[in-house]
Amino acid sequence: MANVIGKSIVIDGEISGDEDLVVQGTVKGRIMLKESLLVESSGTVEADIQTQNVEISGAVTGDIQATSKVEIKADGRVVGNIKAPRILIADGAKFKGNVDMDR
Amino acid sequence: MADTNTIVGQTILIKGNLQGDEDLTVQGRIEGSVHLSKTLIVEPTGVVKAEVSVCNAVISGIMVGNVNATESVELTESGRMIGDIRAPRVIITEGARFKGQVDMGDVAASARESAARPQAVKPARFEPPRKASAPTARPTPVAAKPVPVRAEPKVEARIEKKELDDEEAASKKKVVVRKRR
Repeated sequence: MANVIGKSIVIDGEISGDEDLVVQGTVKGRIMLKESLLVESSGTVEADIQTQNVEISGAVTGDIQATSKVEIKADGRVVGNIKAPRILIADGAKFKGNVDMDR
Repeated sequence: MADTNTIVGQTILIKGNLQGDEDLTVQGRIEGSVHLSKTLIVEPTGVVKAEVSVCNAVISGIMVGNVNATESVELTESGRMIGDIRAPRVIITEGARFKGQVDMGDVAASARESAARPQAVKPARFEPPRKASAPTARPTPVAAKPVPVRAEPKVEARIEKKELDDEEAASKKKVVVRKRR
């Protein structure tokens, strides 16, 4: 486990980096990563996201821009616009927003 | 809880406010403020430029800003810090670099407490710390007999750098300071 934002952690601001990030807690603001973002079921993200991959099992409010893939899992909830070449929305997931798969 | 210890990795930069109820290990950078009810660990690669209020802090990396701890602050041998420390227990290891103020709270009160408990076994033992912490407030400190000590005026407990030079006094308060210039 490289980068974990634990359950009780609340970050209000900006996160940037070159490695994977797992969010179990709350992040508000902005996330910019060169690798993957994983929002676990306990995680809440109220932020604009720019990454390569995003995998969402928790709640995300904000615009998501991924260079590779965005995946909303069955227990994921997303409100916002998604722009990525590959977008996967699993059965059971909740999503409200625009999808843009243009390359 | 230990398995969900939050780690901020080496390439990660967090700008803003961070708060939480678990241990936080910083290998990357945090700028802003950090409020934790547990322990902040700044690893050798970690850089924290923030106002920090935690229970415990262990600094092996770079810390710029004031640290308020309810229990302890430890600067390890690779730790470098600029800022003020406020904590009842402050540990500065040999090799650490630090610039700032240390405030260990009411030093006189804790000395009084420990003096009163063993019924003043060796009253003189508690003399040097008091002298070190309050040279102006009490020019001629009387030996720490439990009863008269209680009437002592509240003493300014801030430990200035020069006072920490009194190593004997400092070590009695579990502070070890080795200065490197």
